[in-house]
Amino acid sequence: MTSRWKFRDHEAEGRMFNRRVNLVLFFIFLMLATLVAKLVDLQVMRYEYFAARSDGNRLHVQYVPPERGLIYDRAGALIADNTPVYSLTIVPEEVDDLEATLDYLAGLVSLDADDIETFDDQLRRSRVPYSSVPLRYVLTEEEKYRVAVNGHRMPGVRMEPQLMRHYPFADLTAHAVGYVSHINQQELDALDETEFENYGGTTHIGKTGVERTYEHLLHGQVGYETVEKNNRGRVTRVLERTEAIRGRDIVLHLDYRLQQVAVEALGDYRGAVVAIEPASGGILAMVSKPGFDPNLFVTGISNRDYSALVTDEINTPLFDRSTNPYPPGSTIKPVLGLAGLHFGHIDYEFTIMDPGWFRLPGVSYRWNNWTMRTAIGGGHGETDLRKAIYQSSDTFFYQLGHTMGIDRIHDFMSLFGFGDNLALDINYARTGVLPSRDWKMETRGEPWYPGDTINSSIGQGYMWATPLQLATAAAVIANEGRMVRPRMLKSVAGELWDFPEQDSVPDVLLEDPDYWRYMRDAMTMVVHRPYSNVFRDYGTAYEYTARADPDMNYLLAGKTGTAQVVGIDQSIRSSEDIRVSDLNKDHALFIAFAPAAHPVIAPRIALAVFVENGESGSAVAGPVAKRISDAWLLDILDLDLDVEPAVESSEAGQVGE
Amino acid sequence: MNSRTYGQAAAPQGRWAGRSPNVDIGLLLIVGLLGIFGLTALYSASDGDSALIQRQAAITGLGLIAMLLVAQLDLRLVQRFAPHIYLGGLALLALVLAFGVEANGARSWLNLPGLPSFQPSELMKFIIPGMLAAYLASQPLPPRFPRILVAGLLVLLPAGLIVLQNDLGTAMLVAMAGFFVLLLAGMSLRLIAFGGLLALLASPVWFLFYAQEHQKNRIRSFIDPYNDPAGAGYNIIQSQIAIGSGGVTGKGFGEGDQSRLDFIPESHTDFIFAVIAEEFGLAGALALLGLFVLLLWRGLRIAVNAGDMFARLLAGGIVLIVFFNVYVNMAMVIGLLPVIGLPLPLISRGGTAIIAFFIGFGLLMSIEADSRKGSVRNR
Repeated sequence: MTSRWKFRDHEAEGRMFNRRVNLVLFFIFLMLATLVAKLVDLQVMRYEYFAARSDGNRLHVQYVPPERGLIYDRAGALIADNTPVYSLTIVPEEVDDLEATLDYLAGLVSLDADDIETFDDQLRRSRVPYSSVPLRYVLTEEEKYRVAVNGHRMPGVRMEPQLMRHYPFADLTAHAVGYVSHINQQELDALDETEFENYGGTTHIGKTGVERTYEHLLHGQVGYETVEKNNRGRVTRVLERTEAIRGRDIVLHLDYRLQQVAVEALGDYRGAVVAIEPASGGILAMVSKPGFDPNLFVTGISNRDYSALVTDEINTPLFDRSTNPYPPGSTIKPVLGLAGLHFGHIDYEFTIMDPGWFRLPGVSYRWNNWTMRTAIGGGHGETDLRKAIYQSSDTFFYQLGHTMGIDRIHDFMSLFGFGDNLALDINYARTGVLPSRDWKMETRGEPWYPGDTINSSIGQGYMWATPLQLATAAAVIANEGRMVRPRMLKSVAGELWDFPEQDSVPDVLLEDPDYWRYMRDAMTMVVHRPYSNVFRDYGTAYEYTARADPDMNYLLAGKTGTAQVVGIDQSIRSSEDIRVSDLNKDHALFIAFAPAAHPVIAPRIALAVFVENGESGSAVAGPVAKRISDAWLLDILDLDLDVEPAVESSEAGQVGE
Repeated sequence: MNSRTYGQAAAPQGRWAGRSPNVDIGLLLIVGLLGIFGLTALYSASDGDSALIQRQAAITGLGLIAMLLVAQLDLRLVQRFAPHIYLGGLALLALVLAFGVEANGARSWLNLPGLPSFQPSELMKFIIPGMLAAYLASQPLPPRFPRILVAGLLVLLPAGLIVLQNDLGTAMLVAMAGFFVLLLAGMSLRLIAFGGLLALLASPVWFLFYAQEHQKNRIRSFIDPYNDPAGAGYNIIQSQIAIGSGGVTGKGFGEGDQSRLDFIPESHTDFIFAVIAEEFGLAGALALLGLFVLLLWRGLRIAVNAGDMFARLLAGGIVLIVFFNVYVNMAMVIGLLPVIGLPLPLISRGGTAIIAFFIGFGLLMSIEADSRKGSVRNR
């Protein structure tokens, strides 16, 4: 001990120390009390609340999207399939540097500006935190491999397997079957509460065609699962699961082979074909050419691809020609002829002298047989209804139309579905125009002039009809007045689909049912009446159909039509460009049904062919129709057309209808 | 004064040539239980990461050895060399500033060749009580004002160096360690109250003009965590959910959903108490708190029974700084204090920190042994 320590009062220092310890103990007691009080508050008083918060943290109910129903054609070919694909997705919350990650990914998979733009769009939208945002769909095998190998360098980047709609026939079924694509906000808003719930896990919805019409059958019922997720939103376990109910598989009346034939038959032309089974109204083929690849829309079409589709003003691949109206031209003449007979304006003996033109009483303007552009000129001479059909005399119908008046034309043609959409499940089909006095006053604010009737009588002027409507009319004629509303859907899950409203449109009842036979024979002559010594006494399509195929073993009833192009821009009309001036050429049309007048077999196909700027209904549209009819009757149905009438006498009842 | 002794009687006989090993069995028991508690909690918090557990177990074992070695030190040597150790500590802190390595935002690690990387600032928590105890006890107590000023400078120097490392939590602990020694040494309570008032008045100025943005956020989210529940408030909200949902009995070992699913932030380190409170409930939390209170109790008894003022101040300083650290951590985790980056002694994952705590406890044992010698001597 040094001397400095001598004067220290160790006892006093010890007592002071103990007092300070007691003071500290007092504060420590207070501190401990606050700790314990807070712990009791959290763990006892507010336990229920925090327990619920904890469960809310980890337990999530998530949707299990149902698998979409498949679409088959009538022969069982898969038209819309679901194929597993791998998509590249990013969870932005898990990515440190999004820019760098995207740069890095661009070195592994092909990413174009559109992919990035779509991705950025989705990023900007409100979304569930820690949900993945798709960047690229349908990775190739090589891309999958590259991403898998380098995945550890890219936190937040994932490859997710997904069932993706696939249309194996691509553009062959693009218009009729349609496609699915990403649900947009408008579509979500349009869903009611239960539907909205049902679409919770669904990314795609039917946008066009059958995919849209039968969305409610194809979609299925959403399932649910309760999962536990960690703080990064990754599922750690599934606690409970209610399975989704798969969408229903549907079978269409469509036959992809007939679609193929129609597309091939149209060749390089733009146009449309609608073929209907007269007995059922089932649509066997519905083609609009050119088509497009619907698979592009499933994965989100790129801007480049999309603008390529929409800027092609000549081919307009997205435009469905089969359900959009055109001037029907002479193809409506059989219906008008039946009207003349039905209302008693003409009979089988009635004839006119056709000078090649028609003039309204007191009007100097002459309506010509305008398709006769040959230098020969003149008319058809003495012409009855039958000849007016197979020679397609405009003059006859000018006069008949004038006699009947627009009111009767309108009323009678509407029985065949003109001016209306009779299709049961093609609600997007246009109605065209079946003009009437009221219609003109309403839309144009003008009264109906007699001259308007003359134009309408040959399917020009205000008269517009879709290929679908023309095929329907052909089917009604083939059925001798029995109305069958056109339909796409054949059966669901093996059971024939029953449309409750299928009989809501009445059959066409004529004064004398023999008029149907008469008109059928006249239409048969369009195709089969050969050349003779008589001037202009052959079928308009004979040259290109029956004559071109000497082995033809069934009768095809048809009607040619050649319609003036309406609404072509003057600049296009006067263009020197050959391709553009082609747009000025007449549209070629043909309606048909077959086999016609067969002793045993009722007509099995009714169809309408529309060839845009095809110039000639007889030379261009006629052969297309024959080829489709041949394919259906001879190749696909493989009918025994040589059935002897003698055999028929005992079996006609069953086999015929 | 010599109320209880542990270990062998201090008779100068036996194989240890007049010396029995300085081991305080009570302290050893408490510290051992805390170590086991810590490993258990870490096992759960890390989802059974065996590498991590083995490392922590190895460090705990190393710490125990360090504690027992330090316990054998002659307290007088510690007293004599306190200034040298203090200067050495300062030198290490300076080295950190020059060559330190950054981790978790603080540049407090030192990578010296031949040594595992360590944090000199952690050691400072126990060097300061030693230095101040030695300085203050060298003159009659309570200390007079000039000596308090000098003591203050002795504390502020290393604390300032640690602030420069951007490790505010440890700097505060170092400062508090100094304060506790001054408090126990009898520093005028009026002076303390005055200083406290000054600090209170200065705090708004600090908040407005000197606080960094993340520090402001921590204080804002302490006042209302739900103001920014996904950002600044996230940690405290998730921590409270974990603790609250643990209830009285807890969710069970390894069953803490909040920790298992990584909702608890920093579950290995600063927020490990939330893991314990979730899995073992109020019972477990109180058991852990109870162990720390026992530690405090045993430590203060050693301090009170110590033979001289140096030993008392050193023991008191060590015990209080450990307990203060425990309190700040727990209070932060349950939302009583703003988030301050401080681990829970002996429980949180750590290296230097754990070894440092064991060295502190070793010093306590050494003091205990010294007091027995002293009492033998005095008699």
